[in-house]
Amino acid sequence: MKTRETTGTAARLVVGAVLIFAGASKAAAPAAEFALVIQAYGLLSPSLALPMAGLLPWIEIAVGWALLLGLETRLAAAAAGAMFGVFLSALASVILRGIPIPNCGCFGGAAHFSPPQAFLVDSVLLALSWTAFRAGPSAWSLDSWSDRGL
Amino acid sequence: MRTKFSRRMASFGLTAALALATVAVARGRYKPYSPSAPDFRVEGPADAKVTVVEFSDFQCPACRYAEPPLRQLRALYRGRIRFVFKHFPLRMHQWARPAAAAAECAGRQGKFWPYHDMLYDRQDEWTNEKYDSFLTGYARRVGLDLPAWQACRAGASAAAAVQADVQEGDDAWVNSTPTFFINGRRFVGAQQLTALGVLRIDQELKAR
Repeated sequence: MKTRETTGTAARLVVGAVLIFAGASKAAAPAAEFALVIQAYGLLSPSLALPMAGLLPWIEIAVGWALLLGLETRLAAAAAGAMFGVFLSALASVILRGIPIPNCGCFGGAAHFSPPQAFLVDSVLLALSWTAFRAGPSAWSLDSWSDRGL
Repeated sequence: MRTKFSRRMASFGLTAALALATVAVARGRYKPYSPSAPDFRVEGPADAKVTVVEFSDFQCPACRYAEPPLRQLRALYRGRIRFVFKHFPLRMHQWARPAAAAAECAGRQGKFWPYHDMLYDRQDEWTNEKYDSFLTGYARRVGLDLPAWQACRAGASAAAAVQADVQEGDDAWVNSTPTFFINGRRFVGAQQLTALGVLRIDQELKAR
Protein backbone atom coordinates (compact mmCIF):
# COMPACT_ATOMS: atom_id res chain seq x y z
CA MET A 1 0.00 0.00 0.00
CA LYS A 2 2.82 2.33 0.98
CA THR A 3 4.75 1.53 -2.22
CA ARG A 4 1.72 2.21 -4.34
CA GLU A 5 1.29 5.60 -2.72
CA THR A 6 4.95 6.49 -3.22
CA THR A 7 5.09 5.41 -6.87
CA GLY A 8 1.74 7.10 -7.50
CA THR A 9 3.02 10.36 -6.06
CA ALA A 10 6.27 10.13 -8.02
CA ALA A 11 4.31 9.39 -11.20
CA ARG A 12 2.00 12.37 -10.81
CA LEU A 13 4.93 14.69 -10.06
CA VAL A 14 6.73 13.57 -13.24
CA VAL A 15 3.65 13.77 -15.48
CA GLY A 16 2.66 17.13 -13.96
CA ALA A 17 6.10 18.64 -14.47
CA VAL A 18 6.32 17.41 -18.07
CA LEU A 19 2.85 18.79 -18.88
CA ILE A 20 3.66 22.19 -17.39
CA PHE A 21 6.93 22.33 -19.32
CA ALA A 22 5.27 21.25 -22.58
CA GLY A 23 2.41 23.72 -22.16
CA ALA A 24 4.70 26.60 -21.22
CA SER A 25 7.02 25.94 -24.18
CA LYS A 26 4.05 26.11 -26.53
CA ALA A 27 2.38 29.07 -24.81
CA ALA A 28 5.61 31.07 -25.15
CA ALA A 29 5.44 31.34 -28.95
CA PRO A 30 2.58 32.88 -30.95
CA ALA A 31 -0.37 30.45 -31.21
CA ALA A 32 -0.09 30.63 -35.01
CA GLU A 33 3.22 28.78 -34.75
CA PHE A 34 1.67 25.84 -32.88
CA ALA A 35 -1.34 25.93 -35.22
CA LEU A 36 1.08 25.22 -38.06
CA VAL A 37 2.24 22.12 -36.19
CA ILE A 38 -1.32 20.94 -35.60
CA GLN A 39 -2.18 21.42 -39.28
CA ALA A 40 0.84 19.36 -40.34
CA TYR A 41 -0.74 16.34 -38.63
CA GLY A 42 -3.57 16.65 -41.15
CA LEU A 43 -6.28 15.71 -38.64
CA LEU A 44 -7.93 19.05 -37.90
CA SER A 45 -9.23 21.61 -40.37
CA PRO A 46 -7.32 24.92 -40.46
CA SER A 47 -10.27 26.71 -38.85
CA LEU A 48 -10.03 24.41 -35.83
CA ALA A 49 -6.25 24.36 -35.63
CA LEU A 50 -5.86 27.94 -34.39
CA PRO A 51 -8.36 27.77 -31.50
CA MET A 52 -6.92 24.39 -30.58
CA ALA A 53 -3.39 25.86 -30.60
CA GLY A 54 -4.54 28.58 -28.24
CA LEU A 55 -6.37 26.22 -25.89
CA LEU A 56 -4.17 23.13 -25.63
CA PRO A 57 -1.24 24.76 -23.79
CA TRP A 58 -3.66 26.09 -21.14
CA ILE A 59 -5.17 22.63 -20.63
CA GLU A 60 -1.72 21.07 -20.34
CA ILE A 61 -0.59 23.66 -17.81
CA ALA A 62 -3.76 23.47 -15.70
CA VAL A 63 -3.79 19.67 -15.64
CA GLY A 64 -0.05 19.71 -14.98
CA TRP A 65 -0.38 21.93 -11.90
CA ALA A 66 -3.38 19.91 -10.66
CA LEU A 67 -1.22 16.77 -10.82
CA LEU A 68 1.78 18.41 -9.27
CA LEU A 69 -0.25 19.75 -6.34
CA GLY A 70 -2.59 16.77 -6.10
CA LEU A 71 -5.83 18.62 -6.80
CA GLU A 72 -8.61 16.28 -7.97
CA THR A 73 -5.78 13.82 -8.44
CA ARG A 74 -7.82 11.06 -10.04
CA LEU A 75 -9.64 13.38 -12.44
CA ALA A 76 -6.39 15.14 -13.38
CA ALA A 77 -4.62 11.82 -13.96
CA ALA A 78 -7.52 10.65 -16.13
CA ALA A 79 -7.42 13.91 -18.11
CA ALA A 80 -3.66 13.55 -18.59
CA GLY A 81 -4.13 9.95 -19.70
CA ALA A 82 -6.81 11.02 -22.17
CA MET A 83 -4.49 13.68 -23.60
CA PHE A 84 -1.64 11.22 -24.03
CA GLY A 85 -4.11 8.83 -25.69
CA VAL A 86 -5.02 11.56 -28.20
CA PHE A 87 -1.35 12.49 -28.77
CA LEU A 88 -0.45 8.82 -29.31
CA SER A 89 -3.25 8.39 -31.86
CA ALA A 90 -2.16 11.53 -33.70
CA LEU A 91 1.49 10.38 -33.72
CA ALA A 92 0.52 6.88 -34.84
CA SER A 93 -1.53 8.37 -37.66
CA VAL A 94 1.36 10.47 -39.05
CA ILE A 95 3.78 7.56 -38.67
CA LEU A 96 1.43 5.14 -40.43
CA ARG A 97 0.48 7.57 -43.18
CA GLY A 98 4.16 8.42 -43.68
CA ILE A 99 3.61 12.17 -43.28
CA PRO A 100 7.08 13.67 -42.94
CA ILE A 101 6.90 16.05 -40.00
CA PRO A 102 10.24 17.46 -38.82
CA ASN A 103 9.47 16.96 -35.11
CA CYS A 104 6.46 16.27 -32.92
CA GLY A 105 6.01 19.90 -31.87
CA CYS A 106 5.26 18.69 -28.35
CA PHE A 107 7.62 21.13 -26.63
CA GLY A 108 7.41 24.14 -28.93
CA GLY A 109 10.90 25.36 -29.65
CA ALA A 110 12.35 23.87 -26.45
CA ALA A 111 13.01 20.27 -27.53
CA HIS A 112 12.68 18.39 -30.78
CA PHE A 113 11.56 14.77 -30.80
CA SER A 114 10.89 12.79 -33.94
CA PRO A 115 7.41 11.20 -34.08
CA PRO A 116 8.68 7.73 -33.06
CA GLN A 117 10.64 9.21 -30.13
CA ALA A 118 7.58 11.19 -29.08
CA PHE A 119 5.49 8.04 -29.32
CA LEU A 120 7.83 6.32 -26.88
CA VAL A 121 7.83 9.28 -24.47
CA ASP A 122 4.03 9.59 -24.57
CA SER A 123 3.61 5.85 -23.96
CA VAL A 124 5.71 6.12 -20.82
CA LEU A 125 3.73 9.18 -19.71
CA LEU A 126 0.45 7.35 -20.35
CA ALA A 127 1.65 4.48 -18.15
CA LEU A 128 2.67 6.96 -15.44
CA SER A 129 -0.75 8.63 -15.66
CA TRP A 130 -2.32 5.24 -15.07
CA THR A 131 -0.06 4.67 -12.07
CA ALA A 132 -1.06 8.06 -10.66
CA PHE A 133 -4.73 7.37 -11.33
CA ARG A 134 -4.63 4.02 -9.50
CA ALA A 135 -2.83 5.45 -6.50
CA GLY A 136 -5.18 8.41 -6.11
CA PRO A 137 -4.39 11.31 -3.78
CA SER A 138 -1.52 10.81 -1.37
CA ALA A 139 -0.91 12.42 2.01
CA TRP A 140 1.05 15.20 0.33
CA SER A 141 -1.68 16.59 -1.88
CA LEU A 142 -4.19 19.41 -1.87
CA ASP A 143 -6.89 16.73 -1.97
CA SER A 144 -5.97 15.27 1.39
CA TRP A 145 -5.21 18.71 2.86
CA SER A 146 -8.72 19.94 2.04
CA ASP A 147 -10.35 16.62 3.06
CA ARG A 148 -8.71 16.75 6.44
CA GLY A 149 -10.65 19.90 7.28
CA LEU A 150 -10.08 21.05 10.82
CA MET B 1 -17.39 21.46 6.88
CA ARG B 2 -16.78 25.11 6.12
CA THR B 3 -13.04 24.61 6.45
CA LYS B 4 -13.18 21.76 3.96
CA PHE B 5 -15.07 23.90 1.50
CA SER B 6 -12.80 26.90 1.84
CA ARG B 7 -9.69 24.75 1.59
CA ARG B 8 -11.14 23.23 -1.57
CA MET B 9 -11.78 26.66 -3.05
CA ALA B 10 -8.31 27.81 -2.01
CA SER B 11 -6.84 24.75 -3.75
CA PHE B 12 -8.61 25.55 -7.00
CA GLY B 13 -7.62 29.19 -6.70
CA LEU B 14 -3.97 28.30 -6.14
CA THR B 15 -3.89 25.96 -9.14
CA ALA B 16 -5.55 28.52 -11.41
CA ALA B 17 -3.18 31.24 -10.22
CA LEU B 18 -0.15 29.04 -10.86
CA ALA B 19 -1.44 28.21 -14.36
CA LEU B 20 -1.89 31.91 -15.12
CA ALA B 21 1.54 32.71 -13.74
CA THR B 22 3.12 29.93 -15.83
CA VAL B 23 1.69 31.33 -19.05
CA ALA B 24 2.70 34.88 -18.08
CA VAL B 25 6.26 33.79 -17.31
CA ALA B 26 6.47 31.73 -20.51
CA ARG B 27 5.27 34.66 -22.63
CA GLY B 28 7.66 37.03 -20.87
CA ARG B 29 10.60 34.77 -21.55
CA TYR B 30 9.77 34.39 -25.23
CA LYS B 31 12.48 35.87 -27.37
CA PRO B 32 11.62 36.76 -30.93
CA TYR B 33 13.41 34.38 -33.23
CA SER B 34 16.81 35.91 -33.82
CA PRO B 35 19.26 33.17 -34.66
CA SER B 36 22.99 33.43 -34.76
CA ALA B 37 24.71 33.43 -38.11
CA PRO B 38 28.22 34.32 -39.28
CA ASP B 39 28.62 38.12 -39.46
CA PHE B 40 28.97 38.03 -43.24
CA ARG B 41 25.35 36.81 -43.52
CA VAL B 42 24.00 39.44 -41.15
CA GLU B 43 23.25 43.02 -42.10
CA GLY B 44 22.31 45.88 -39.81
CA PRO B 45 22.89 46.77 -36.17
CA ALA B 46 22.93 44.01 -33.55
CA ASP B 47 20.57 45.99 -31.30
CA ALA B 48 17.99 46.73 -34.02
CA LYS B 49 14.38 46.62 -32.83
CA VAL B 50 13.42 44.39 -35.73
CA THR B 51 15.13 41.23 -36.92
CA VAL B 52 14.18 39.80 -40.29
CA VAL B 53 15.35 36.23 -40.86
CA GLU B 54 15.14 34.73 -44.32
CA PHE B 55 15.35 30.99 -45.01
CA SER B 56 16.19 30.73 -48.67
CA ASP B 57 17.38 28.45 -51.45
CA PHE B 58 19.50 29.81 -54.31
CA GLN B 59 17.85 27.48 -56.82
CA CYS B 60 14.28 28.29 -55.86
CA PRO B 61 12.40 30.50 -58.35
CA ALA B 62 10.11 31.91 -55.65
CA CYS B 63 13.22 33.08 -53.77
CA ARG B 64 14.48 34.85 -56.88
CA TYR B 65 11.13 36.59 -57.34
CA ALA B 66 11.34 37.68 -53.73
CA GLU B 67 14.74 39.29 -54.29
CA PRO B 68 13.73 42.64 -55.87
CA PRO B 69 11.16 43.53 -53.17
CA LEU B 70 13.51 42.20 -50.50
CA ARG B 71 16.38 44.35 -51.75
CA GLN B 72 14.09 47.39 -51.74
CA LEU B 73 13.00 46.55 -48.23
CA ARG B 74 16.58 46.15 -47.01
CA ALA B 75 17.50 49.49 -48.59
CA LEU B 76 14.43 51.23 -47.16
CA TYR B 77 15.07 50.08 -43.59
CA ARG B 78 18.87 50.09 -43.73
CA GLY B 79 20.34 50.81 -40.31
CA ARG B 80 17.03 50.18 -38.55
CA ILE B 81 16.57 46.43 -39.03
CA ARG B 82 18.82 43.42 -38.66
CA PHE B 83 18.63 41.07 -41.63
CA VAL B 84 19.85 37.47 -41.31
CA PHE B 85 20.25 35.10 -44.22
CA LYS B 86 19.80 31.38 -43.49
CA HIS B 87 20.49 28.58 -45.96
CA PHE B 88 17.59 26.29 -46.66
CA PRO B 89 18.41 24.31 -49.82
CA LEU B 90 15.41 22.11 -50.54
CA ARG B 91 15.96 18.42 -51.22
CA MET B 92 14.29 18.62 -54.62
CA HIS B 93 16.81 21.23 -55.82
CA GLN B 94 19.93 19.25 -56.60
CA TRP B 95 22.24 22.25 -57.20
CA ALA B 96 21.03 24.33 -54.29
CA ARG B 97 23.34 22.76 -51.73
CA PRO B 98 26.61 23.21 -53.70
CA ALA B 99 25.50 26.78 -54.43
CA ALA B 100 24.86 27.40 -50.74
CA ALA B 101 28.31 26.06 -49.84
CA ALA B 102 29.86 28.21 -52.60
CA ALA B 103 28.15 31.33 -51.19
CA GLU B 104 29.24 30.37 -47.69
CA CYS B 105 32.85 30.13 -48.88
CA ALA B 106 32.53 33.49 -50.66
CA GLY B 107 31.28 34.88 -47.36
CA ARG B 108 34.38 33.69 -45.57
CA GLN B 109 36.29 35.99 -47.90
CA GLY B 110 33.91 38.86 -47.16
CA LYS B 111 32.02 38.58 -50.45
CA PHE B 112 28.80 36.88 -49.41
CA TRP B 113 26.35 39.54 -50.61
CA PRO B 114 27.79 40.09 -54.09
CA TYR B 115 27.97 36.32 -54.60
CA HIS B 116 24.44 35.90 -53.23
CA ASP B 117 23.12 38.58 -55.60
CA MET B 118 24.87 37.00 -58.53
CA LEU B 119 23.38 33.57 -57.81
CA TYR B 120 19.85 34.96 -57.78
CA ASP B 121 20.32 37.32 -60.73
CA ARG B 122 21.71 34.50 -62.88
CA GLN B 123 19.62 31.66 -61.56
CA ASP B 124 18.56 30.56 -65.06
CA GLU B 125 22.16 30.33 -66.14
CA TRP B 126 23.78 28.05 -63.53
CA THR B 127 20.96 25.71 -62.48
CA ASN B 128 22.02 22.78 -64.67
CA GLU B 129 24.75 20.12 -64.95
CA LYS B 130 27.37 22.78 -65.70
CA TYR B 131 26.73 24.52 -62.38
CA ASP B 132 30.26 23.96 -61.16
CA SER B 133 31.94 25.97 -63.90
CA PHE B 134 29.38 28.76 -63.47
CA LEU B 135 29.88 28.88 -59.71
CA THR B 136 33.62 29.13 -60.30
CA GLY B 137 33.11 31.84 -62.93
CA TYR B 138 31.05 33.91 -60.47
CA ALA B 139 33.73 33.43 -57.84
CA ARG B 140 36.26 34.90 -60.26
CA ARG B 141 33.93 37.80 -61.13
CA VAL B 142 33.35 38.86 -57.54
CA GLY B 143 37.10 38.73 -57.04
CA LEU B 144 37.56 35.77 -54.73
CA ASP B 145 40.86 34.12 -53.95
CA LEU B 146 40.05 31.05 -56.05
CA PRO B 147 42.38 28.43 -54.51
CA ALA B 148 41.18 29.35 -51.02
CA TRP B 149 37.57 29.30 -52.16
CA GLN B 150 37.97 25.87 -53.79
CA ALA B 151 39.67 24.53 -50.67
CA CYS B 152 36.80 25.84 -48.57
CA ARG B 153 34.25 24.20 -50.89
CA ALA B 154 36.09 20.88 -50.69
CA GLY B 155 36.25 21.07 -46.91
CA ALA B 156 33.57 19.93 -44.53
CA SER B 157 32.93 23.12 -42.59
CA ALA B 158 30.96 25.04 -45.25
CA ALA B 159 28.68 22.04 -45.83
CA ALA B 160 28.29 21.69 -42.07
CA ALA B 161 27.30 25.35 -41.74
CA VAL B 162 24.66 24.87 -44.44
CA GLN B 163 23.41 21.71 -42.76
CA ALA B 164 23.19 23.50 -39.40
CA ASP B 165 20.90 26.10 -40.99
CA VAL B 166 18.77 23.36 -42.58
CA GLN B 167 18.39 21.69 -39.20
CA GLU B 168 17.40 24.99 -37.64
CA GLY B 169 14.81 25.54 -40.37
CA ASP B 170 13.45 22.04 -39.86
CA ASP B 171 13.17 22.67 -36.15
CA ALA B 172 11.26 25.87 -36.88
CA TRP B 173 8.92 24.02 -39.27
CA VAL B 174 10.11 25.84 -42.35
CA ASN B 175 8.77 23.83 -45.26
CA SER B 176 8.89 26.17 -48.20
CA THR B 177 11.19 28.91 -49.37
CA PRO B 178 11.48 31.76 -48.94
CA THR B 179 10.20 31.84 -45.37
CA PHE B 180 10.71 35.03 -43.38
CA PHE B 181 10.54 35.57 -39.64
CA ILE B 182 9.97 39.18 -38.62
CA ASN B 183 10.58 39.34 -34.88
CA GLY B 184 9.41 35.75 -34.71
CA ARG B 185 6.28 36.17 -36.82
CA ARG B 186 6.28 33.93 -39.88
CA PHE B 187 5.71 35.19 -43.44
CA VAL B 188 5.88 32.71 -46.28
CA GLY B 189 6.76 33.93 -49.77
CA ALA B 190 7.31 37.32 -51.37
CA GLN B 191 3.60 38.10 -51.40
CA GLN B 192 3.19 37.81 -47.63
CA LEU B 193 6.43 39.70 -47.08
CA THR B 194 5.41 42.70 -49.14
CA ALA B 195 1.72 42.72 -48.27
CA LEU B 196 1.90 41.97 -44.54
CA GLY B 197 5.54 41.82 -43.51
CA VAL B 198 6.24 45.47 -44.21
CA LEU B 199 3.31 46.51 -42.03
CA ARG B 200 4.69 44.29 -39.29
CA ILE B 201 8.12 45.91 -39.56
CA ASP B 202 6.58 49.38 -39.27
CA GLN B 203 4.52 48.32 -36.27
CA GLU B 204 7.50 46.80 -34.51
CA LEU B 205 9.67 49.82 -35.21
CA LYS B 206 7.07 52.12 -33.70
CA ALA B 207 6.37 49.88 -30.71
CA ARG B 208 8.21 50.19 -27.39
